[in-house]
Order: sequence, then C-alpha cells, then structure tokens
Amino acid sequence: MARKDVAIISVGYNGRFVSKRPDVSIPELIEPAVRDALRKTKLTINDIDAIAMGNMQTFEGVNSPHLWASDYIGGTGKPVIRIATGGTTGMSTFHSAYYHVASGIFDVVMAIAWEKQDEGDSQVGLGGILMPEVFAMFQFGPDLSEGRGLGIGIGTGGGGGSTGSASFQASSYLARSGGGIEHIDMIAALLRSNAAKNPYAHLQVPGCKPEDIAKTPIISYPLRYGHTCPTSCGATAIILASREKAKKYAMTDRVAWVKGVACGTSDATFGNLIDGQITDPAEQVAATMVAKKAYARAGIADPQKEVQMAEVYDGFAHQDLMWPERLLLVGDGKSPEMVAKGAYNIEGDMPINPSGGVVSTNAIGASAMVRVGEAALQVMGLAEGGHQVPRRVRNALAHGWGGLFQFVTVTILGDAPVQ
Amino acid sequence: MERKVAVVGYTQTNYEKESPISRERIAFDLATAILQKLKISRDDVDTIVFSSNDFMDGRTISEVYLVQRVGAHMKDETKAEADGLNAVLYAWMRIMSGQYNTALVVSISMSGSQFRPLLVQNHTLDPAYERPRGLVNFISGAALQARAYMTKYHMSEENLAQYAVKSLENARKNPFTPKRDGVPTVKDVLNSKPLYDPLRELHTGPFVDGGCAVLLASEERAKELTDKPVWIKGFGHSLDTYYIGDRNIIRVNSLRDAAKRAYKMAGIKNPSRDISLAEIHTNFASEEPIFTEALGLFPDGSGVKTIKSGISRREGKLPVNPSGGPIGAQPMNATGLVRLVEAVSQLRGEAGPTQVKRARTAVVHAQEGVCAQHNVVGILGV
Repeated sequence: MARKDVAIISVGYNGRFVSKRPDVSIPELIEPAVRDALRKTKLTINDIDAIAMGNMQTFEGVNSPHLWASDYIGGTGKPVIRIATGGTTGMSTFHSAYYHVASGIFDVVMAIAWEKQDEGDSQVGLGGILMPEVFAMFQFGPDLSEGRGLGIGIGTGGGGGSTGSASFQASSYLARSGGGIEHIDMIAALLRSNAAKNPYAHLQVPGCKPEDIAKTPIISYPLRYGHTCPTSCGATAIILASREKAKKYAMTDRVAWVKGVACGTSDATFGNLIDGQITDPAEQVAATMVAKKAYARAGIADPQKEVQMAEVYDGFAHQDLMWPERLLLVGDGKSPEMVAKGAYNIEGDMPINPSGGVVSTNAIGASAMVRVGEAALQVMGLAEGGHQVPRRVRNALAHGWGGLFQFVTVTILGDAPVQ
Repeated sequence: MERKVAVVGYTQTNYEKESPISRERIAFDLATAILQKLKISRDDVDTIVFSSNDFMDGRTISEVYLVQRVGAHMKDETKAEADGLNAVLYAWMRIMSGQYNTALVVSISMSGSQFRPLLVQNHTLDPAYERPRGLVNFISGAALQARAYMTKYHMSEENLAQYAVKSLENARKNPFTPKRDGVPTVKDVLNSKPLYDPLRELHTGPFVDGGCAVLLASEERAKELTDKPVWIKGFGHSLDTYYIGDRNIIRVNSLRDAAKRAYKMAGIKNPSRDISLAEIHTNFASEEPIFTEALGLFPDGSGVKTIKSGISRREGKLPVNPSGGPIGAQPMNATGLVRLVEAVSQLRGEAGPTQVKRARTAVVHAQEGVCAQHNVVGILGV
C-alpha cells in the first residue's frame, strides 16, 4: 500500500571526512557509518528490511562494490539494490530507499553512500565522460596557437564536472546576476567557517574571511582555489522508516519526514542547441523544474516563506549563489545581495549549507546524500558542533546535482508529514 | 497490495556480436519503438529508469549521453546499476508509491564489441586479495560450482552437455539471437574448447551487443494502454556474502531468499505446480539445474532426472529458457531484462517460433557477481 508518511529516523557518518584513509579498505570505510546510523536508533541490523547503496564506482576501480561490502553493510541475506547517477548518486540512492518504503513494500530501509577517493583518480574518471565533448570543441575550432586551444579543450573541457567546466557556469552566473567575484569570496568564506562548526566536515577554517579566500590564486576565471571543493573519503548512512516503525525505533519524536522527492534531467553539458537556443550552464532549467515538482509533492506553495534552510550541491562556491535562485528560494539574481547582508549565514533568513557544503567536504558519491542527512539533522535539531540553525526548521530542502550539468535531485524534509 | 503494476509494452533489438550502430542510437531506437508500438508520446512516460554499468560502458556516469536518447530531456530520470531487471524492480517500486503511473526501463549492452567483458567484470573482485591472486573469476567460480553440484548429485559431463544442447536448440528458434551453423550435439559440446573444468566453450553463450526496453504502468493506465497487460505479481531480491568459500555455492542462498520473497508476494505456494515458464539468467549451462532448484521448480539434486525427463524443454511441462536463455546470447547487463521481455512475450502469446503452450505464470531472474552472489526474481502473470 502506497504511503505518504516516510521518515528519516537516523543519520550516520563513518567519522570526519578526510583526504586519505590508507588505513582502511572500502568496506571498512563504510561499516562505521552503518554502525553509527544504527546506534542512533533502537534498531539492530536485523531490523533493516532492505538496503540501497551507491557511489561512483569508477573512481575506486571496484565494480559493484556492494558485492564486496555485503557483510560490512549487513547486506547478507537482505534485499540490496545499487544506484549510481553521477554527482546525484547519493540522493538518487536515498530516493531509491524512499521508494522502497513509500511503495509499502518495505518498512525500514537503509541508504548508504560513500566515496574513497584516495584509491583512484576522480578527475581521470570524470575526464572519461567528457571525451566526446572535447572532440566537439575541436570541431568548433578552438584557437590552437601556442597550445592554448589545447589547454582550453582538454584542461577545461576535459575537467568534467571540475573547475574548468564549472568556470563557464560561474562566469555566466556572475554576468546574469550582476554579482562579482567578491561575492563568491564571501560565500566561500562563510562555508569554510560553517564547516569549522561541523565536526564531520573536511576543510574546516574557523572564522574564515572573504579576504583570506581572495588571497588564493585563480584556477580558472572566475574560480579561485578557495572556491573549490576538496576530494574526500567518507561514508554516510540514512535510515528511513514508515510511520509505525519510526515511532517504534526512533530515539526521539523528532524525526524528519520526507515530504517530497523529485529528480530530473536536462541535456548533457552546455553550449548545445536545444530548440534553436544555446543552453546556458547557469540557467539550470532542470533544477527549477525539479524543485517545483518537489514543492508540489510537499505541499509547499511559497518556498521563500515556507522553507527555512537548504543544503545545496555546491562543488564550487558560486553554486551557493546560483542554486538558491534556481531552486526558487530567493528571487532571480538576488543571491549576491543576500550573501552580502548575511542572509545565508547559519543565523540568517535563509541559511545555505550550514554544514559547510560540498565546497568543504566532497566524497562525491556521498555528497548528495550528505545534503539530505544534514537537512534531516537540521529538522531534527541534532546538528552538532554549533551548525544547528537557531530558528525552528519546519521545512528544509536538500539538493543534488550531477552528470554533465544535467541531473538534478531535490528532497524536501519537514517536521510533519504531508497532509 | 492495493496497487497493481503491469508490463504493457516491450521491445528488443537483434543481438549481434558487433553492432554496426552506436549505443546512443540503440537507446533511441528502443525508446521510439516502444512508444510507437503503444501509440503514445514521450509525454505519456512519467519516469524513466535506466540501467547500465559504468565499468561495462567504460565511462563514469554511463547514462550521461543516453538519457536524452530515450526522451528523458526535462523529465524524471534515474538509474539502477547492473542488470536491467534491477531497474524494473526499482521502476515497479516507483509506480507502487503512487507517484507515477508509467515507467520506461531501458537496458543496453555493448558486451559483444567489447574486449573480453568478463575481464572487465573481474573489477568486482576485491582488489587486495582475490583480484591479484587471479584464482577466482567468473568462469572459475562457475566451474567450481558446476563441479560441486556434479559431484554431490552424480551428474556426468554428458548430462551437463545435454543442458547446453537443450538451450542451444531453443536459441536456434529464437530470431533475436545470433545464428549458428546447426545445433551442436552432446558430442560437439564435450569436444568444445575447455575453459575451467568441467566447463567448456559451448556451455556458455556469446557476448553480444543489443538492448531491450519495457514500459510499466499502473493498473488504470495499463488497461488504457493494452489489452494484454502482464502483471507483476511479485518481486524479491537478495544478496549473499562475498567470498565464495563462505557460501554454499550449490544452494545459492540469496536466490532461494529472493525466490521466497517473490513467491510470498505473488501468493505462490507450490512453484513447481504454479509456474508455467521460467526465464533465468544462466551464464553457464551448469547453472540451470542449480538455479531452477533454488527457485523451487525442481527438487534439490534432481538435475540428471530433470534433463533426462525433458520436462524443462520448450514442449515440456515446465519450460526453462525457451528463448535459449543467455546460452543463446549474453548482452551483459541487459541479460536479466531480456529474460523478462521473453517471458512477457510468451505470456502474451507473441513469442512466435519459441512460443510455449498454456503459459500463465512466469518466473524471471537476474544475477550478479561470482556464483550469483546477488539475485533478483520476478513473478509475472496474466
């Protein structure tokens, strides 16, 4: 029987996200997150009905790692499904777990997402997606004098979801919104200092100032080193349950209800012609479409008033300005003004990424699920270390982004299920 | 279950050792074929669940360039890893949640034109111990499994060859599988190239390029879209422990577990009586007795008796892989979804030269990992 009331009852981490974990294997990295999620409930692993698991497997060189990790995630003898959709993997995995419960087929389901990037080269993995795009760039005839075209073609285009290609989006965003590089500095500094209040965040810089960020070199204009994410290792696990099971197994009454989930895709990459128009990488039509769908499912008519905080997928700091606009949390082009007046701070009107965001912690396959987990902790009032939003979070938005600029996932959590 | 979900449309390509068209084009052709068959547009598709595997496709986020080809632009799309039957499982859950009424599932394989796909699949092995030692791989695991079964239940190599011949005979009638010159005899199988003892080349099928797609719909939509809905009566999936030394490889516990869940959901108490047809994911002929017994279709250890009796032949009482199964063609990663497509065409009476009689309820199966560590079982009915 289809259900509308599915709750997150627990969010677990394997520990603090870090650059390298040479001391553990992949399953050993994941296992503590599973244990942590269970520890925060009255559940044992035997009470988990099914598991959904995801990561971006080519980054580590292990295909279908749920097979190897079976015993470590408690998957032996259980229904386990594997999901992978690029940057959105974490949230796609979470959504899969949600549908396990929402369909009425399972009652208690665990979603697990992780990445161990010290075992491979993620940029090489990402470059693999983009080879056809690089060739397309050559077709358009880049300037090859002094090897510069080669640099643009491979260095930026070949970067996949990384800084090179994101810089096009950042430039476009600034041009559209009228913001400047100083606004990206401001939000980057905010995220680094937010991360310092999150015990699980990777890059923690207490009291980081925009001036500190401005000192870091430009990598690909307008993005600076200080605007980019680290490569992290870490795992997260979220436990979802039906209303009855949530009541039975949750430690407190305050659970995070999954009010609306949605996903969608536009076209791969940027600069393609669609209906006679060149797509703008900062336009992100899919994000707006998906957000609207999720709000409708969550019964939210005015997100600017009804949503109290958001965790967005920001591999690069300019995206913390762009996503709130595309996700309809602020007006179009309003983010530079919002960040300047402190509205995106933890204490502000619309806190964006109190956790420090992906800019501070990026275990890629896990990142989109961490957004859900962090939003859930905010709704539950359990965000540790001073990154809890002070005012009551009734509705929170979590967002994932991936593919070649085209995949979007949105989850709306709240303190009460949809009526 | 209040909500019912049906398979309302299906399509598949011819399976070829080397497809002359790109995987993007295959995706486009599959999606357009299914929409045209049902006379609907892409607006009628609520959600799309893709299935692919990044290692097999040789690229990260392997569906990046495929999603537009199946009409997912500005639509709801996600991906389940590994076999397409996992994607059906997920699409079914999405419809069961009440949020969607139709779901398109697409699975494509280019394993035919790929350099030794089993070598690629060795990346599922743990990189610290099993992979560098090089002892366990997909074939050697299956060989150990086959030998264990044959020893325990006194099955001869001739009996095993009979399983291969049965599948090859069926495959010959299947218009989608690559053509062979004649049907190999038991003697041909026994004389084919040895892989790992007791497995030989003719115990397994060729890797091929191709793909298939299905459209699922909720009960209301299904009745609008087709006169011949094939209902999903139950699904079960389960994972076993990783190291084959820790598993009972001839019992295949995860398959038994998955089958139990699926039968329970479908209300099937006696599968050997209630199931009229099985399409199962057998990478090697030796897996057929092991899997059909784990599925409860035949008593444990009855492999010799079953093949001698002819009960599992196409014209028998309980046909197993009347399409020839993966012994006819293995589009790795789509193999399980092909099983579902074949079963649907049988249940609708549209299987042409491979059609079996009186097909009412079918069991379909997909597996993943060495010695079928992960299994998905679906029950379909009319």
